Amino acid sequence: MAYEALDFYDVDSLLSEEERMVRDMVRDWVDEEVIPNIENACRDGVFPDEWRVSLGEMGVLGAPLKGYGCPGLSYAAYGVICRELERGDSGLRSFASVQGSLAMYPIWDFGSKEQKNHYLPKMASGEWIGCFGLTEPDYGSNPGDMITKAEDKGDHYLINGAKMWITNGTIAEVAVVWAKLDGVIRGFIVEKNDPGFSAPEMKGKHSLKASVTSELVFQDCKIPKNRILPGVKGLRGPFSCLNNARFGISWGALGSAQACFDSAKEYAMSRIQFNHPIASYQLVQNKLAWMLREITKGQLLAYHLAQKKDAGTWIPEHISLAKMNNVDIALEIARVARDIHGANGILDEYPIMRHMANLESVKTYEGTHDIHNLIIGRHITGIQAFTRDA
Amino acid sequence: MNIAVLLKQVPDTTAKIIIAGEGVDENSVSKWSMSPYDEYALESGLRMKENNGGVLIAITCGPDRSKKMLTDAAAVGADTLVYISDEGVMDSTHVQQLLAAAIRKYEADVVLCGKQAADTNAGSTGPGVAEILEATCVTLVSEVSYTDGNYITMRPSNAGSEKVSTQGTSVFAFDKGSTELRRPNVRGIMMAKKKIIESITPSDLGVHLGDSNVHLDSQTPPPEKAAGQKFEGSEHVSTVVSKLRNEANVI
Ligand SMILES: Cc1cc2nc3c(=O)[nH]c(=O)nc-3n(C[C@H](O)[C@H](O)[C@H](O)COP(=O)(O)OP(=O)(O)OC[C@H]3O[C@@H](n4cnc5c(N)ncnc54)[C@H](O)[C@@H]3O)c2cc1C
Repeated sequence: MAYEALDFYDVDSLLSEEERMVRDMVRDWVDEEVIPNIENACRDGVFPDEWRVSLGEMGVLGAPLKGYGCPGLSYAAYGVICRELERGDSGLRSFASVQGSLAMYPIWDFGSKEQKNHYLPKMASGEWIGCFGLTEPDYGSNPGDMITKAEDKGDHYLINGAKMWITNGTIAEVAVVWAKLDGVIRGFIVEKNDPGFSAPEMKGKHSLKASVTSELVFQDCKIPKNRILPGVKGLRGPFSCLNNARFGISWGALGSAQACFDSAKEYAMSRIQFNHPIASYQLVQNKLAWMLREITKGQLLAYHLAQKKDAGTWIPEHISLAKMNNVDIALEIARVARDIHGANGILDEYPIMRHMANLESVKTYEGTHDIHNLIIGRHITGIQAFTRDA
Repeated sequence: MNIAVLLKQVPDTTAKIIIAGEGVDENSVSKWSMSPYDEYALESGLRMKENNGGVLIAITCGPDRSKKMLTDAAAVGADTLVYISDEGVMDSTHVQQLLAAAIRKYEADVVLCGKQAADTNAGSTGPGVAEILEATCVTLVSEVSYTDGNYITMRPSNAGSEKVSTQGTSVFAFDKGSTELRRPNVRGIMMAKKKIIESITPSDLGVHLGDSNVHLDSQTPPPEKAAGQKFEGSEHVSTVVSKLRNEANVI
């Protein structure tokens, strides 16, 4: 059965023709290449390398960035790309988010001309994979207190410390690493073969199984002086990357939600219990109606946020709201869809359980659900509630 | 070399359709796409252009919505986009007259199209256009190449497959081959958006469409699918085998 994207209010009709063509391109690719292969990729715990190649060929990596071989699309197009990828799998969307928003973006915004020329074209084409190292074993929601540090040794920098939970780490050629130089957070570009750097894979995930997650270990890691990102100091660096990635997630989560809705609707129409399709019972209809309601609201939120992003009238709190809301409803929709599928819902024949497990990570990364509540709480009250010692 | 590719927009083969009155209710079609055989013609045309140089002219005749498909063709590499507006209900001969006139106007050397459109399955466009153009026509083509004035095509034969060569203006009607279709990419989509669609009317082409000699007398929808049958237990094996052999014709 062909995927019929739920779009109750016809929100996609607000997109430009170009944005819709990009949508169809990615949607067709996901139908043909991702959905038939995703369960195997999850079972094997690998990110298929063909997907890297295809994403590069389609030219969607670093979608909203302009110049240096980057696509130069609108944020709305970037959102649509994330949504269509995540309809396939959140791990696939994670790959694209990390590559574009977390690894290419800081080089594009804060890098030197030489750095941009050197890295961006090869990252846009998918030839080089990037990763983003912020989180540490002891500092997750609170990255400002990170302990990874860089020292200026005259003709080079020396980095020491460890990062954890780093998407794409093991397969990356290029790592954008945040570390303290004289107590100030700075961005550094570390390459795969730099001495003193290793990126062992973290195994045993029950979520985002088709995405590579790694530690980054720096033991007297020596990098040349021209690898520091000159354009930014402090938490603003990593946070501006996160704003873009979170924006993409607010669209992406809707892709998972739409896939779960689609499957739940099909299943409810065809599953007969007590002589009638379960879709004919009011309790089931209530669940489907609730899903449609939340997806429609989420779509309007994401669309309007994209307009603000393209117009430059957004604030980070707008993004927090959309990331928090859309991941939250997507996860709940996945759970309700699992319920509608009964026992079948736990099988890998249906995408439900995979989306549900994936969304647990999505709820946590890029600012946990509650961290976004605190960001919005601070916006409302003017009082920060992250820590007691401020 | 001017390579013309004839394209038709049809309901996507995976989209649900609703039959109402005289045919498919167009408003119920959730997705319109390029007819699948035409995709092979387009891909082969693009390869011919890459190998021999030239211009690829994508031509369609149909309602306004078909223009979107021309933009899709541009996204994968079509150079010139030609839209011929239709005049209400037309029969196959009318459409062929218009397509042939456009092919002449754009001075195409070779014409590629699908063997049939996925909606009507009429299969007359390629041969019909060739007839009007007094061109050579090869049907059920899976591959085509051009060297030294010869078009070399592959098509099925009673012995397996055959290689046919033609000279001069030729029309090739494509079947699905093993040729891999290219995907669009963002760069192509951005260029396609800037491409102008040349809209022409039958009178621009100097074609006066006479009355149709073909009339649809009646139409019946396909029969409802019969309900499935369920058998449990080994005692039914022979019944199931005989049903599969005699009723379903699958073994
Ligand atoms: C699959 C995956 C991929 C990832 N990829 C990357 C990556 O590529 N790069 C990267 O740098 N990081 C990555 N991360 C890390 C991710 O960003 C962190 O997990 C996240 O920031 C949360 O940190 P933590 O796991 O240490 O949880 P903690 O910060 O320890 O939070 C635990 C719980 O405490 C709550 N909490 C924390 N502080 C407060 C507070 N002040 N008030 C109330 N509640 C609070 C949180 O909301 C949460 O519920 C990834 C994580 C996962 C799971």
